[in-house]
Amino acid sequence: MSILPIIYLAYMFVSLYMLALLLFIYVRNRKTIFDYPEAQKNYSVSFVVPAYNEGKTIEESLKHILEIEYDNILEIIVVNDCSTDDTQEVVERMMRKNKKIKLINNTINLGNAAGSQNVGLKLAKGEIIAVVDADSFPARDSIRKMVGFFDDPKVGAVTCPVLARNQDKFIEKMQALEYQTISFARKLLEYVDSIYVTPGPLALYRREAILGIGGFDESNLTQDIESTWHVAKNGWDRKMSLSTNVTSQVPSKWKVWALQRRRWNIGGIQCIKKYRKDIGKKGMLGMFIIPLFVIGLFWGMLGIGIFGYIFLSKVFSNILMTGYAIETGVPVVTMNQFFITPSILNYLGVALFLFELIFLLIMLSVLKNKIWKKENLLNIPVYLFVYMMVYPFLMVDSIWNYYRGKRKWR
Amino acid sequence: MFKSQKNVFWQALVFTIIMIGLGVIFGILLENWRTSYVDKLYQQSEISLMDIKLQSDIYTAGLFNCKKAQEENLNFADRIYNESKILDRYETASELTDDIISTHKKYDILRANLLLNSIKIKQKCNSTYYDVVYLYQYNGASIETKAKQATFSKLLVQLKDQKGSDILLIPMAGDNDISSINLIEDLYNITDSQLPVVIINGKKKITNLETIDQLLKNFK
Repeated sequence: MSILPIIYLAYMFVSLYMLALLLFIYVRNRKTIFDYPEAQKNYSVSFVVPAYNEGKTIEESLKHILEIEYDNILEIIVVNDCSTDDTQEVVERMMRKNKKIKLINNTINLGNAAGSQNVGLKLAKGEIIAVVDADSFPARDSIRKMVGFFDDPKVGAVTCPVLARNQDKFIEKMQALEYQTISFARKLLEYVDSIYVTPGPLALYRREAILGIGGFDESNLTQDIESTWHVAKNGWDRKMSLSTNVTSQVPSKWKVWALQRRRWNIGGIQCIKKYRKDIGKKGMLGMFIIPLFVIGLFWGMLGIGIFGYIFLSKVFSNILMTGYAIETGVPVVTMNQFFITPSILNYLGVALFLFELIFLLIMLSVLKNKIWKKENLLNIPVYLFVYMMVYPFLMVDSIWNYYRGKRKWR
Repeated sequence: MFKSQKNVFWQALVFTIIMIGLGVIFGILLENWRTSYVDKLYQQSEISLMDIKLQSDIYTAGLFNCKKAQEENLNFADRIYNESKILDRYETASELTDDIISTHKKYDILRANLLLNSIKIKQKCNSTYYDVVYLYQYNGASIETKAKQATFSKLLVQLKDQKGSDILLIPMAGDNDISSINLIEDLYNITDSQLPVVIINGKKKITNLETIDQLLKNFK
């Protein structure tokens, strides 16, 4: 048995294990997955909204925050990081209508959301700090369905599903599926204390928890992952309410999308580097979350290496064969070259794909999607076969850029 | 309400081990079934070859029918050529076991046997058909060698299509450590690094790719 089938089997093992883990958790908890505790206390909430050139979306975002059905919102602190568009004017116009909105204009451009979030954090007075991206739109019931988790004194952060707001273009539809999958998986991981991120579009932090980690890490490109890991390291639990959501503007162009993913990947690498000494330590951060990220990174790189080797070998071989065929006058392609005799790895690959498909369909069904609508017949296979396959390539690009020192937000 | 359920990690691990284990067992069974299928074909071919050799011996005893002997030999070559295509496909799809490699070796011996039988018949009958022995690299061929071999295969298939029963095409792995094939290689001063090589009628040795027209010049 050569090395490649062993590697393929190892890949299948890891993928099947993760899918089985999530499916088992779902089966156990399917009846309570949408449950959330009603708050026993009327927690005061401060919103912090970092903004840089968000003139197009911030008005809508603030309107959504103002429409939230929760009566103890103390303030909405918008931190404008020297925007060059009309962000400041839009916020000032809204401030005149609602006194809860406060605008802080940074004197220098900090260049990252974490810096602005930290500025807002210093001013926030609430027991709960709600961080919202300026291109995100929390649901009206979001705070009501999230704050109850803080009745448990061990809970330091609460998250909810982030869904794609714009779902018209093909790229947006792919992201819509992806966001739902990530949200569903995140909720399932809550049952094993393994929420690894409380995403920026809407995350609630207990004041002591977020101040206890010294606020957000401004050197990290995914400050939301870093803060979640740090909160976890300090012993706080993270929870998620699946019964509400926040919608967020997703990239509509492939280039913007790729840059966003590069930022996420580099942020992930920064987190691994920062917390590498916690691997294997007691608690789910060291025993599961960081190893999961490391395995994801390692497997992605190994996979792309093997794929690259096989692909380039085939290309080189085909170039040679074409050259020889032209030289000798034989056909470049003959019917003898086409036959289907599947190996066991092909069968296992198909089985794994079906398993992934089942997971995706369960997820869509649980999240009340119309699975059988016509466009899903195309979108789901493309999502599984094409969209997900692009990730390892993005990972290579991210690592390349990480080592070149390109670690800036913008 | 939300009690942690970490034992699910173990359950998922057991489930995955069972599923992958079942998959591997299924794979081994599938590959064994394919090997035994090719083995059955081989056994039938072996019987046929023994029959042909016996016929040759009968001819040597004086009961000679050259036309029939040649015909049987050519038909047999065609038959094992088709069987080797199935063998190749199953070998390509063989990921977990290597039993099929020994079947490949058995087929190579069968082909070497066929070659010797053909030489014998030609000596007795003054036959006009050509033996075309194609010795290729089976183990660890480089990308370049594989491409060259693929082109040689296409060339020889074209040649067979054009010349039909005028040639007896015998492809054999030249580096499978089979003594009889090693002897043939020694006879024509062929080393493993020279593979692939085509030998026509035991006289002409071709190591470089040629056009079909150049190749046809060897068959007057």
